[in-house]
Amino acid sequence: MLASYVRLEILRMIRNRRYVILGIGFPLVIYLLNANVFGKETTDGGVTLSAYVMVSMAAYGAISGTLVNTAGPWAQERASGWLPQLQVTPLPGWMIIVGKLVGALLLVLPSMLLVCLAGALTQGVSLSVGQWAALVGALWAGAVPFVALGLVIGSLLRPDAVQPVTMITMLGLVIVGGLWFPVTTMGETMRTIAEATPAYSYADMGWSVIAGHGVPLSDALTVAGWAAALGVLAVLAYRRATVRA
Amino acid sequence: METIPSSPALALTGVAKHFGDVRAVDGLSLTAAAGGAIALLGPNGAGKSTTVSLLLGLARPTAGTVRVLGGTPEQAVAQGRVGAMLQQGELMPELTIGELVGFVRGLYPRPLPLSEILDLADLGSLVKRRAKGLSGGQAQRVRFALAVAGAPDLLVLDEPTAAMDVESRRRFWDGMRAYAAGGRTVLFATHYLEEADQNADRVLVIARGRLAADGTPAEIKATAGGRLVTFRLGDQPAAGLDALPGVTSVEIRDGVARLRTDDAALTTAALYRGTTLEVHDLEVSGGHLEDAFLALTRES
Repeated sequence: MLASYVRLEILRMIRNRRYVILGIGFPLVIYLLNANVFGKETTDGGVTLSAYVMVSMAAYGAISGTLVNTAGPWAQERASGWLPQLQVTPLPGWMIIVGKLVGALLLVLPSMLLVCLAGALTQGVSLSVGQWAALVGALWAGAVPFVALGLVIGSLLRPDAVQPVTMITMLGLVIVGGLWFPVTTMGETMRTIAEATPAYSYADMGWSVIAGHGVPLSDALTVAGWAAALGVLAVLAYRRATVRA
Repeated sequence: METIPSSPALALTGVAKHFGDVRAVDGLSLTAAAGGAIALLGPNGAGKSTTVSLLLGLARPTAGTVRVLGGTPEQAVAQGRVGAMLQQGELMPELTIGELVGFVRGLYPRPLPLSEILDLADLGSLVKRRAKGLSGGQAQRVRFALAVAGAPDLLVLDEPTAAMDVESRRRFWDGMRAYAAGGRTVLFATHYLEEADQNADRVLVIARGRLAADGTPAEIKATAGGRLVTFRLGDQPAAGLDALPGVTSVEIRDGVARLRTDDAALTTAALYRGTTLEVHDLEVSGGHLEDAFLALTRES
């Protein structure tokens, strides 16, 4: 049951032009633009910007993808009556939320892998097999809190309110978190704020990996903490959204 | 069929559902044995959809108990013994009809064969179409397919023909009757007396959240006072109208005569041949539900 529900979720998203263009194409295009302009420069840590921005854009793609693909459709389904239709089948309620989590995680892979592939093939980003695995693994598993955040937004808001809130949340996270403009370019105060966001800790796992430092425990714990907190919130919000009056 | 009618398909005891001050369902008690088609008949706002929601576990009663196939509604749904077609329920626009039906079918322990589902819902030609762009009637048929896909013992349909044209309606009811003929129970909510009349073995009339009548279609129609013959009388005398054959009551309002009758053909014939009245704008209306309600709820 869970597998067929996940399959359904993926099928409907990959047929959605918006997902394919915004979710998969956009991060790749932004990466290629940035890398071609600034790619040869290096960061303080001695990493080329083409590699640094590759991680930033992979992280950005994952955050925007999970938020946008989870919140909107979920709010829409609640409003349109698809949810009650599922509720009168034997599909258990927990499978709906788990199915959405699994589906969103699978759907985030294409954009992440494409950005990495573009980095390796066109921008000369060279990492060891272990580094590639650690990078993709960390960014993939670390996407969980953003899926949870998307479910929270989709559970609490109506469809017309979801889109602006998702956009503002997403842009806030990636800009403040230093995914578009590196934290090293920020002032002291902004940098402190940036480092407190889940987006920064999330991307920093990747930046550390390409700098040869592995995944920092502090970042992993921060992301796990956000995953736990937002996960609990998502379950509560989901219950509230599906409560039987 | 392996369905053994050991416990009633439905058993409601003193069920009430209040939304704030609104008593959508207000003390509803009824039992229905398994098998056959049951109509839940009532005007808009009578409490039909709320009753359906209670039966499916989508809403919980304020008071009373709801039992479905011997258990709670939630249990019956979880066991895959219930299928339902709700009034609103958009389909996922990106998916094909075949994918939607296949998915829902896969959720049930003992579903119908795919070909039989498509047959019942008359969907053969639409299997590869995406849900986006279906007409209202086509979407209704898909939702009927989703409701029967799991071969449920109890099939619940809330105003199933709402967006259908005449031909779709006819085929739809054929499908519904074929399904009920297998020893399963079908409960459908409607506000059309004719639909209940033609397709149900038993009719439950609800008004203001209560059971107003319960019987075979013939019994209900008799209670509702047959049909209504209306025409413009103008200034002509009304004397003698109540003596026409079949007429049970006469009402004159604003120069329009309203004759309630057991036999509209006989009454109409007698009106033309047996009186010297000039009959303008004659209309025969068949047991309108609104009229039925006046008749059925007058006593209570």
